[in-house]
Amino acid sequence: MARSRPTDPVDLLGPVQGEVSWFCCGAAWGPCGTVGKGACGTCNSGSLQHAWPNTSDACWAITRPDSCGVSLSRRTCGFSHRTTALCGGASVVTTIADCGPQTDLFCGERSCCGATCASNRLIDLTPAAYSRIASLSSGLRPCEISA
Amino acid sequence: MTTRRQMLKSAVLGGGATVVAATALGSLGPEAAFGQAAPDIEPGAVDPNFAEGRIRSIKDNTLLVLGSNMVFHSIRVVDGTSLWKLGPVSFDQAKPGDGLYARGVRMPDGVLAAESVWLNIVNIKGHIRNITGDKLHLDHGGKEILCHRIPGKSVAIYSDSPPSADLSPLRVGQHVQILGAWRPDTNEVDIATVFSAH
Repeated sequence: MARSRPTDPVDLLGPVQGEVSWFCCGAAWGPCGTVGKGACGTCNSGSLQHAWPNTSDACWAITRPDSCGVSLSRRTCGFSHRTTALCGGASVVTTIADCGPQTDLFCGERSCCGATCASNRLIDLTPAAYSRIASLSSGLRPCEISA
Repeated sequence: MTTRRQMLKSAVLGGGATVVAATALGSLGPEAAFGQAAPDIEPGAVDPNFAEGRIRSIKDNTLLVLGSNMVFHSIRVVDGTSLWKLGPVSFDQAKPGDGLYARGVRMPDGVLAAESVWLNIVNIKGHIRNITGDKLHLDHGGKEILCHRIPGKSVAIYSDSPPSADLSPLRVGQHVQILGAWRPDTNEVDIATVFSAH
């Protein structure tokens, strides 16, 4: 059986744990009012969508999860991921609609619920998607991501 | 077993705001609603059980909301609904002009029976451009957002440390995430939580 190289994207080896937050996109109010429809041109706060740090070379150059020691596979607009909240176990399946989060700006950050923790920002969900697995007022949660 | 969602649905079908007893729903905290089965919706699709927009008017227990995409929503608040506006609040804190996100159960007549309503909630990331007194000046995509520390409400979470009311470790130039309540029609936000990587 072929062994994986150390640089293999961790999400290809199985579910990966990290932090999940939420962001607004599309038609919106307040500070979100000018954010636009995201890198894929389809992003909408009311849809079950997410941002992924490796949608293109240009996206990767901004988010740089590798600077936090995390390699993630290239996934493009429309690809589906399942995000499972480690607090409570609720999950949601969403499609890629934007590039993000900017993992490198929060390197090493860890969020916990009780003794369950995960490090590094790997995915952002729309409010519609995040609110399926946690309260929007929680802002940031540990999660598990699978393809 | 009767789920919270079923209880909300029956509350609205019962026609009143006070049909559902809070104790029958268990905890009224917003986390109580999550982790329960929700109907499958195609990934990428608009979630019919979610709404966003700004409150145009309030009639009895119903919020009449104009979505940012110009779709109208009627959002019914019942006894089991949790409302957030910088923290848990009562229904009388909802005002015309407030922005909101709401999750619940869409009824056959189009009304959304709300499990949770988050009023003016924003979750923004940016660099701290300046700190003056109790205010953080946040550079959010090139636009300044003035973020107010509210005594007794605002906390900071430094990575996995417990929430702290001490915001003094925050530094100019640092990148943070701010969860808070927007002051309608301004570039100002009241801080609920500042998330800092260190």
